[in-house]
Amino acid sequence: MVESGKISASQAGKLLYLTVIPTAILTSPAMIFKVAKQDLWISPILAWSGLITVFIALRLHRMFPGENIIQAGERIIGKFLGKMVGLIFPLFYLYLNGIVVREYGEFVVGALLVNTPLIVVLGSMVLVCAIVVRGGIEIVGRFAELFLPAFITLFLLIIVPILPDLNISNMLPVMGEGIAPSLAGTFVLQLWFSEFITYSFILPFVTDQKNAAKSIMFALGAVILTLVVSNLATLLLLGGLTGDYAYPFLILARYINLAEFFTHLESLFMAIWVLGAFVKICAFFYVTVLSAAQWMNLSDYKPIVYPLGFLLILVSLWVAPNYQEMTRAISTSVNLSIFTVFVAIPVLLFGLACVKKAVHKNKNRR
Amino acid sequence: MKWAAVLGITTILVIITLREWPKLRPEMKREKAAFAILTILDGTLAFLLVFYPDLPGPTQGLDAMTKPLVKFFGNLMAEWSG
Repeated sequence: MVESGKISASQAGKLLYLTVIPTAILTSPAMIFKVAKQDLWISPILAWSGLITVFIALRLHRMFPGENIIQAGERIIGKFLGKMVGLIFPLFYLYLNGIVVREYGEFVVGALLVNTPLIVVLGSMVLVCAIVVRGGIEIVGRFAELFLPAFITLFLLIIVPILPDLNISNMLPVMGEGIAPSLAGTFVLQLWFSEFITYSFILPFVTDQKNAAKSIMFALGAVILTLVVSNLATLLLLGGLTGDYAYPFLILARYINLAEFFTHLESLFMAIWVLGAFVKICAFFYVTVLSAAQWMNLSDYKPIVYPLGFLLILVSLWVAPNYQEMTRAISTSVNLSIFTVFVAIPVLLFGLACVKKAVHKNKNRR
Repeated sequence: MKWAAVLGITTILVIITLREWPKLRPEMKREKAAFAILTILDGTLAFLLVFYPDLPGPTQGLDAMTKPLVKFFGNLMAEWSG
């Protein structure tokens, strides 16, 4: 067993919430607005990929208790093919985490630390995350539990003061062109919702298994609610301008002006972003390290944390020459490859597992 | 400037190795091999990126692989969003 730590079901749910939401709040309003227009707040409700991935993570763990999707895959499609598929996951998590780290760095440098070199911002974040990941799943889970109240408080501190300035007529007409635009928006959103497959890697370490399903459904519901609220607030305040900003939610924080006294609250949003991105990078990094160690049959994943952390920094610099190029890639090729790795492959594995089980049952009956 | 980067990368990798290597017990052969391979990979990629910053990356690979599908979905999305 590579990991000896254990976390509770509620910690796992909080970890997944903080894994999915931070980058979604940051960039999703602008990206969905381009396809769904004023219906952008309906898209999170229709997000199908979250339900699919959560369902598969739970069912696969019920079929193969104590095993994550890679280990289960080796049993379903055999050792060799399983190893081939098993290599895709660590590599893809590394690449995706590279994108997240780069997004974090570009945002911090672009909005706050204008004169700091990108590599310093990226490097310090990855170093902290590497130390946490080296501590094991327990530390990652506890950080999620610790940061969630702060995250939600800061989120509400941004939403509540702008409530009087919201203009309801911005969301009209609701579904003016039918449901198709908001459905198109779900294809953008599956970028974030399919990350729920990460639960498959966390599930084996959950102590109270009977609450696991409840806590993940709660996390999924919370993600949907948060996205509806943040997208709606963005839309009602900015209207047709939502798509023109790279980070619409940051504009919301900048807009707050309470009695000419509380102004420039974007530092609040920066705090949200740093906390959230920290947990997200930790979770993805943990999955990368864990699945890489399992793939190489190591007895311990600790020795490869720092080398992989260094590789993570390199990948984050390597993914794209600049932010604009990365945004373009995220909405096209990265979106499709996330769908392939996080939705299509698990669905295929699950389907094969079901078929295998049925065939096995029939044989026994005869 | 480039040689400063090379020096920095070497220093970081040496520090990581000095920190981690003594913790690996003699019987942990697989772990030692994994650590060595990853560190060498780190160094190679880092030096390549220092001297050839425009090295085609994973994103270009994904772009090339998903090109036809991206076109198809792009048209579909444009149709749906009106």
